Formats: sequence, structure tokens, C-alpha cells
Amino acid sequence: MTMRPITFFRAGSIDEAVAAVSSHPDSAFLAGGTTEIDLLRLNVVQPTLLVDVNDLPLTYLEDVDDGGVRIGAMARMSDVARAPRIVERYPGMSQALLLGASEQLRNMASMGGNMCQRTRCSYFRDGQSPCNKREPGSGCSALTGINRGHAVLGTSEQCIATHPSDVAVALVALDAMIRTIGPDGTNAIPIERFFLRPADTPSIEHPLAHGELIVAIDVPALPVARTSRYVKHRDRASYEFALVSVFSAMRVDDAGNVAELRLALGGVGTVPWRAHRAEEALIGRPATPENFAAAADAEFADARTTPMNEFMVTFAKRAIVRELSEVTS
Amino acid sequence: MTVSTVAPATVEGGVGTSARRPDGILKVAGEFAYSSDLWADEMLWGATVRSPHPSAEIRAIDITAAVALPGVYAVLTAADVPGARHYGLEVVDQPVLAIDEVRYEGEPVAIVAADHPETARRAAARITVEYAVRAPVTDPEDALSRGDLVRHVPVRRFASAGGTALTADVVVTGTYEVGMQDQAFLGPESGLAVPAEDGGIDLFVATQWLHVDQKQVAACLGLPAEKVRLSLAGVGGAFGAREDLSMQVHASLLALHTGKPVKMVYGREESFFGHVHRHPARLSYEHGATRDGKLLYVKARIVLDGGAYTSSTPAVVANAATLGVGPYDVPTVVVEAYGVYTNNPPCGAMRGFGAVQACFAYESQMDKLAAEVGLDPVELRRRNAMTTGSVMPTGQLVHGPAPVADLLALVRDRPLPPAATGDPRERPGGVANTTRGEGVVRGVGYAIGIKNVCFSEGFDDFATARVRLSVVGGEPAVLVHTAAAEVGQGLVTVQAQIARTELGVTKVTVATADTSVGSAGSSSASRQTYMTGGAVRAACQAVKATVLARVGRAGELALVDGKVVASDGAVVASLVDLLGNDVVEETVEWRHKPTRPLDPVTGQGDAHVQYAFAAHRAVVDVDTELGLVRVVEIATAQDVGKAVNPQAVVGQIQGGTAQGLGLAVMEEVQVVDGVIRNPSFTDYLIPTILDMPPMAVDVLEMGDPDAPYGLRGVGEPPTISSTPAVVAAIRAATGRPLTRVPVRPEHIAL
Ligand SMILES: Cc1cc2nc3c(=O)[nH]c(=O)nc-3n(C[C@H](O)[C@H](O)[C@H](O)COP(=O)(O)OP(=O)(O)OC[C@H]3O[C@@H](n4cnc5c(N)ncnc54)[C@H](O)[C@@H]3O)c2cc1C
Ligand code: SF4
Repeated sequence: MTMRPITFFRAGSIDEAVAAVSSHPDSAFLAGGTTEIDLLRLNVVQPTLLVDVNDLPLTYLEDVDDGGVRIGAMARMSDVARAPRIVERYPGMSQALLLGASEQLRNMASMGGNMCQRTRCSYFRDGQSPCNKREPGSGCSALTGINRGHAVLGTSEQCIATHPSDVAVALVALDAMIRTIGPDGTNAIPIERFFLRPADTPSIEHPLAHGELIVAIDVPALPVARTSRYVKHRDRASYEFALVSVFSAMRVDDAGNVAELRLALGGVGTVPWRAHRAEEALIGRPATPENFAAAADAEFADARTTPMNEFMVTFAKRAIVRELSEVTS
Repeated sequence: MTVSTVAPATVEGGVGTSARRPDGILKVAGEFAYSSDLWADEMLWGATVRSPHPSAEIRAIDITAAVALPGVYAVLTAADVPGARHYGLEVVDQPVLAIDEVRYEGEPVAIVAADHPETARRAAARITVEYAVRAPVTDPEDALSRGDLVRHVPVRRFASAGGTALTADVVVTGTYEVGMQDQAFLGPESGLAVPAEDGGIDLFVATQWLHVDQKQVAACLGLPAEKVRLSLAGVGGAFGAREDLSMQVHASLLALHTGKPVKMVYGREESFFGHVHRHPARLSYEHGATRDGKLLYVKARIVLDGGAYTSSTPAVVANAATLGVGPYDVPTVVVEAYGVYTNNPPCGAMRGFGAVQACFAYESQMDKLAAEVGLDPVELRRRNAMTTGSVMPTGQLVHGPAPVADLLALVRDRPLPPAATGDPRERPGGVANTTRGEGVVRGVGYAIGIKNVCFSEGFDDFATARVRLSVVGGEPAVLVHTAAAEVGQGLVTVQAQIARTELGVTKVTVATADTSVGSAGSSSASRQTYMTGGAVRAACQAVKATVLARVGRAGELALVDGKVVASDGAVVASLVDLLGNDVVEETVEWRHKPTRPLDPVTGQGDAHVQYAFAAHRAVVDVDTELGLVRVVEIATAQDVGKAVNPQAVVGQIQGGTAQGLGLAVMEEVQVVDGVIRNPSFTDYLIPTILDMPPMAVDVLEMGDPDAPYGLRGVGEPPTISSTPAVVAAIRAATGRPLTRVPVRPEHIAL
């Protein structure tokens, strides 16, 4: 453990924030601090400059286009969860937020920060075990260690860490757009391109340039999302990360076929996991438990497991089948 | 009529009432001063350098960079310990600071004092320790075969007829495992050491037993006991985790070295390394019975992982062995219990103390046996239930009430909770789940446990109380002073209640516990109301005798509402007039009836003081597809002899039950190769309010003639049987064997 002095700077404007971070190599944005301060104290991250973005005018929630919503990056999880337009248009997203962390944390934690939260892998967080995500090239302790909660989808030889966010699962299903302002100007990143799988570079989790600030998350209009849902299964009834979670938004036509489906999974992937294969397997097909099961099988066809986490595949499939069956019944 | 039977019942806030806790509002309002809130002018902050390795030789320690840091006042290692370099509750084997080797991850190696906590931590980080890492011994069976034995306790008792052969018509066997549980108290280890002018030290600390701390700290500092004065600081929970020393010697060393007050406060992660845990256990059982379910014999082998140092492992092993068959009449018993040394985190005292592990195994076995002989689990237990006059496997006669069958009947006869209504909050997994009931199965499970109260095996167990009666502000007032640690259980309240009852005076103050009065023993073994309560009562009675002697005719008089009253109710004198400016003070050292050591070969002996019993019935809904469990309701019945403070009794029962539920379904310190993988409350899960069901509590008051007011220790029994009851209910719902706790979703649904 080493201790370093840290400079704290409260940015008064977006430009100031971006300039401060991009001009200083060991710097980071500080939003609610619920991830950043933890990791700093655990010595997992070691910034020497923290640029506080809490004063920036980014707490808004506003309508865009025809029924979509733009969520400011500094909007707090609890405010977003209870905002009427979120509850009405994207109830599954509201549920995902409310099932995350605790009320106290949600009051602090921002939506932008949530997108950038780090994995709960205990080898990453202990600050010393070999970990390719924290210390590229040092190895992955989780491969042979305690990996009950680790990912079975999107893994690599380098890293099997689970992405812990709940609301991001909803957002990948909704095809949200991450809007940023960086040293090179503004940018819009489709959310599935925002979360990077570990592949050979588990330390790189996002395509953000150093100093690039998330300013908003756009959630497009999506009528089917009005009946969306989020379920989260975990080791205790509250205040715990998911073993497996499922976001679903489905429309079944009069003939009993799946007309529209958005399906995403939490707790099982190295990124918030959009279940594309399952969606493809189901759209246009009868909404039956057999088809749901086949779709779940397809989604996990390439799952890579360890002796400790192989149960997750079974659990996740059951959770999908049950969730879709519930929605249709 | 004797003096002592006149006064009770009449006093407000006396024994048997739910008198208000003086610390209650402060705690709820966040104003109570815990040990971590201590402050002294110009104090320094201590920090500890700990071993990252479970086993290593220390080649060199370089402190130069730490000493060079501005703001650092002292950096100390083992060489700086002036007195004994080891401490320990009974076996003195744990180094104050590591000497040449470390034997567990987190073992203290060096300590630092600086003018700011950050500086202290920074300095600690600059200390370089050169280790030659060794392969840790982490498997208890390996340790046993290597001879790394802390203690072996055999208990062998044979039915007068059957000889030593173990045969029966029905035999069930099973091997069970209990994971390492943490006490998970909320107030981390902390205290403040203040150097005194006489060269001694004043130590303010959150602990369970001031005098045992004093003895060990004094020895390590090389000071006589009277120069090491301890006062109890606000304790944020204990559950056994404060029985061993943590920062006591370290802060004192730094204070003496620097001549300044030194405060040490562990963080949450450090706390996981700062105290002992509950012993993980592996237990193999064989139960032999007749076809109608009468137990003939129980054979058991219990291995408890004691970790790197002795701590209280010897006593935990004795408990597991002597209580190892549960509250049942068993003619033949052959138990072999072992505690071993490994390089895992040290294990020691935790609520339930050896009885918890055994109860999970023997109650699982009783269910298995019930199924085998085709009996209802409660009926099987009833047929074997011990009673007053039963003989324990140790040969000890059970003198006091042993309402085992009654307690079981109470929980069985409670109406069962209604079926789930479909409210999402009632689903296994709570609102986050979606099932509408498909795949959800209800299960009901029972368990009963036995626990010894007070210290056992011939230990000279006593408590001291000083009680002073005088007139303050024109009113009679009592000051009670003991060294007994209020750890949240409500002991301060109970002491005042006893004084009110005995002396007929409502104005009672309980002085802060410290070592200026004699030892009260530990706030453990469910003993403090029995022991310090007994001492306070005895001291009050001595005060009363002195006061009444002034009036004469002592035997016929009583103290009621501040007055001396004759047996016909006539007021003889008021205490105010009788005492004037006098102070009547008595100090009494009080003992329970003596116990005896166990025979080292047969495990026979009257080792325990009192037995306490609690039964649980758990009702669970299990989502059999996803392994999610919702405990719907827990009914419990416990005999407390006398509910000195009924509200506090129910509080203990609910809290203990929650701790047992935690062990059943989520709590485990995960240790891999000697390294703790989840030292945080994000990763070490304890039940939240949503995990804890409503409870139906029956409290029996079957007085124990040997105990003050007939009371029976309350704190531990509820923790013991709630774990097996919850697991039995999950088994009933799923048909899974579930031989290990905590039970996880994948054990239930795959
Ligand atoms: C005990 C605990 C339990 C939790 N449980 C859950 C859970 O169940 N589900 C769940 O989803 N989450 C959970 N969380 C995570 C929590 O949601 C995140 O910590 C939170 O959302 C992070 O937001 P923040 O504003 O506090 O970010 P910060 O901690 O301030 O920042 C996090 C990271 O994001 C960067 N950052 C912040 N804002 C921006 C921005 N606008 N642009 C670019 N980079 C930025 C920071 O530099 C930092 O690297 C839990 C956290 C804790 C501590
Ligand atoms: S799983 Fe990823 S985060 Fe965890 S140890 Fe391996 S590389 Fe590090």
C-alpha cells in the first residue's frame, strides 16, 4: 500500500472538467464517488488529481425526439428511478435502478458513474493479486481462484470478471446512446460499443479517451419498453449484486408469435449482456416455453464456465425461460 | 419470611420489568460515544503493519523510511516489546508483534504512531518486511496428521448393559460441514491508550473482559497490573470477537513509547484480520437407534480448525464434545473432538461457542433418523428428549429444569403462517423475483439445541460488584460499580434493575465499568446476568443487611420505596433519615457452584454449571428452480428461568436467531490458501431486514434453583438451533441432503 497526495479540483464547467482531466495523465473524474473513492482507498486506482463534476449542469432528465429521454450524466440513480417518464416509458429500467445498491448509494451515485463502475472481482479489488485488468500482463487470479460470481459469457483467457451494473443491462437492451464531450469534441457511442469485452486488453473497458466526459445517456423511444421488466436473483434479498438478472421487453402478436423482443442479462457477462442470439431465435416464432428454452440454450451455447460458476448457466437459462413465460402468461 | 423475598415486585424498573435502557435513545439517535469516538488532546494515531502471507519467515524488517516521515513518532517491532512478547487468553502463544515468523494472513508485524491517521498508514506502508514465504498448512486433517493439535477431547460413556459395542437396528450416518462465520459486529476494534504520570497506562477500550485484558497487557508491557488501568469504552457489539486482544497492547506500547495518548481504530477490512472467527468444522456422525426411534448410541468425530493460535479453541473443543449429542438421552456416547492449528485465520469465541457446529450436525442426524424410522421429526426428538434428572454424556446429572419436550411442543403447536398471498414481497428473493408460485415449495423444519452457561471445567469463575447506598439530593440513591462489559446486550440496565429490586430504591446509577473494582469475568458464555447479576444482588443484600442491622430485627424488615418496612407493612424508618450523611458500601465477590475438569480419557466430569435450551421452527418458501430461499417465519421457544428484562430477552432471541439464519444461508468468511477473500460487508453477507422473517417467540420461565432469580443465560441458545431449523426446512422443501452451511442457491437447485 502506498499513499499519495491527491489534488482535488471542482470543475465549474464541462470544458473546464475536460481540460483538467485531459491535460493531466493521472487524473480522473469524480461524480458520486461511490466507486472511485472505494477503489482509491483500496489502492486499486491511484489518481493524483480528482476533478469533481458534481457542479456541472448535468442532472437533467428531458424528452428528446418522439418519446425518448435524455438523462444527464450527473442525474442520481434514485432520481432517475423515480422519474415519472422513466417509470412509465421504461419500467424495467426503473426496476433495475431500484434493485441496485442501497438507497443511500443510489442517492449519491450518478448515471455516468454507473456506466463506469468497475468489477467486483475480489482479485481486482484487493490491490495486490495478479490481475490483468488492474495490472496488465500480471495474470488472472480468478481463473483458478474463487470465481463463483464470475462471468460465463464474453470472457477471455485474460479476464472473466463480471460487469456489475444493473441499469446498464436495461440500457443495452434499450439501445441507449452514450453522449460524451472530450478533448476532441462531442461524440455519441451506441451503448453496446461502449462496454468492451476483455479480449486481450481487460484493462480497457470503454472507448473513452482520457478526459472524455459522459454528459448524457439517450434512451430512444420504444413503445414495447412500456411493459419492460427487470428481475434480479441474488444471494440475499436486498443490497447485493446479481447472480443473474434479466431485462425483458416483449410483444407477442395475436397469432402468439414473438413480434418484438429486447432481452439482456446481468451477472453473467463481462459486459452488460444483450441476448442477441436469444432475441433472434425467438422473433417471429411462437412464444412458448419450449422456444424460450431453445433461445436460452442458444444464448449460452458458447458459455465458458469454471467448476464454481457452471451453475450460473443453468440458473440463467431458467431465469430467462421463467421471465419470458411470466411476461406471456 | 426472609428479607430477600419481601422487596421484589414493588419497585418500578425492577427485576422482571422491561426497564428502559439508559443507552437506548443515545444509540438510536446516533449520539452514543463508541470506542472509535474517543479523543484526547494531542493524541497520536496508531497503525498496524500486517503480514500479507499466511505463513512466512521474517528475514528482515526495514523501518527507516517510515521513521523518516515527518509526523511519525514511533515505529515498533517485536524487539520493542518490554515485557512478555506473547499473550493469550489461557495459552500464551500469540506474539504481540511477529517474532521471526508469521503464521496467518493479517498477523501484526509492526506498529506506527503518527500525528495523523493518514500519516500513520503512510508510514506503515513504508515499512519493508522481507519474507521467505512458506507453504501454509490450511487443511485441518493435514494438521491433525502432522500432530498440530490444540486439544483432543474424548467423551466416552457406555450404557451399563450393552458393553462397548456400537450396534443398533437402525443406523444413520452423515458428514457435515460448517463454514467460518464472522461475528460481524458493527463497531470495529478501537481504543485509546493514555500514558499516566506514574509510568503506567490508562486504556479506554471496547472489550468483553477488562481484567483479562489488563492481565495480558500488563504482562506484555512489563508493568504490574495496578499500573495498567482499563475503562470500558462504548462497545459496538462483541459476540465473542472481543475476547482476545486486538489493539490493546499495541496502543499502550505506542503511548508509553511516545509519552502521548495513542488511538487505534481498525477499518472494516482490517477488522476481519483483527479478531478471531467461528471455527469451521467437519463433523462425522453415526446415530444408532431402535426401530421406534429410541437412541442407543451416538458416535461422532468433530474436527475444528483453530487457525494459527490457541485463543479459546480448547474450550470450544470441550463444548463441541460435551454438548455433541444435543439435549437427548443417549445411553452410549463416543465423541472425539479435535481442535487443530493451521495457517488459517485464528478462530475462537463466537456466540454459541462449539455448540453451534455440533448442533447443525446432530440435528441434521435427528431428521435423518426420523425419516429412517418413519417418525415425525418432533416426535422423534420428543422420544429422546432429556429431562431434569437426565445424565449428560459426561456423566453430569442435569439438576435444573430441562423442558426440552415442552419447548419442542411450543414451537410445533404454534399455528403455521398462512400460504403466500402472491404479494411480490413474499416471494423467495423478494420483489426482484417474478415467480407466481410455480416451483415454490414450502418447507418446515425443527431444531433444538443445548448450551452451557458460565465458565466450565473447574475454572474459578466469579464476578465482583460494589454497591453503595447513600442519600443524594435528599433521596436515597444507589451506585453500582462492576467491571462487567456492556456490549449491547443490556447489562447496565439489568444491574440497575437488580439493585432497585433488592434495595427498594428507584434511583440507581451504574458506574462505568473499569478495573478499579474486581473482575466481573467475561461478557460471554451467556454468563453475565447470572454472574455479575448474582454479584450485584449479593452486594445489595450485604448493603441491606448492614442498613437493617442499624434498626435491629433485620430478619423481619424489608426495604420498600426508600423506606424500612416491617413485615406487617408498617414503615419503621425512611432511608433518608436512617442514613443521614452515611454511606453504606459493600463489595462482594460472587461464585457459581464449582465445576470440575473433564477426565482426559473418558471425558467424564461435572464440567458445566447450567444448561440452557432453545427450540426453533423455521418455515421457508424455496424457489426450487433458482435456489432462492425466503424464510417465512421462525417460531422459537426458550426457557430463560426468569426474564429479568423481558424486552431484552426477546431482543437477544431475535438477534441470536438472525445470526443463526445468517450462518444457514449466507454468512461465510471465504478462505483460500489461508487468505481471506471477502473481508468487507459487501462481500461477506449478513442478513438484511428483508431476509429476516417475523418471529413468534415463547419465553418459558422455569426457575433454576441454583441461579439468581432462577435465571438462565439467554444470549447464545437462540443462535444454536436456528441454523439447523432453517436448513431442515429447506431440506423439507427440496429433498436435498444439504450437509454444509451456509447453503447456497446452487446447492438447492442443481
Ligand atoms: C456497496 C455497493 C453496492 C453496489 N451495488 C450495486 C448494484 O447492486 N447494482 C449496480 O448497478 N451498482 C451497484 N453499485 C455501484 C454503484 O451503482 C456505482 O458505484 C455508482 O453508480 C457509481 O456512480 P458514482 O457517481 O458514484 O461514480 P464515481 O464513483 O464518482 O465514478 C466512478 C467512475 O466513473 C468515472 N466517471 C464518473 N462520472 C463520469 C462521467 N460523467 N464521465 C466519465 N467518467 C465518469 C469516474 O472517474 C470513476 O472512474 C454498488 C456500489 C457499492 C459501493
Ligand atoms: S477476472 Fe479480470 S478482474 Fe478478476 S483477476 Fe482476472 S483479470 Fe483481474
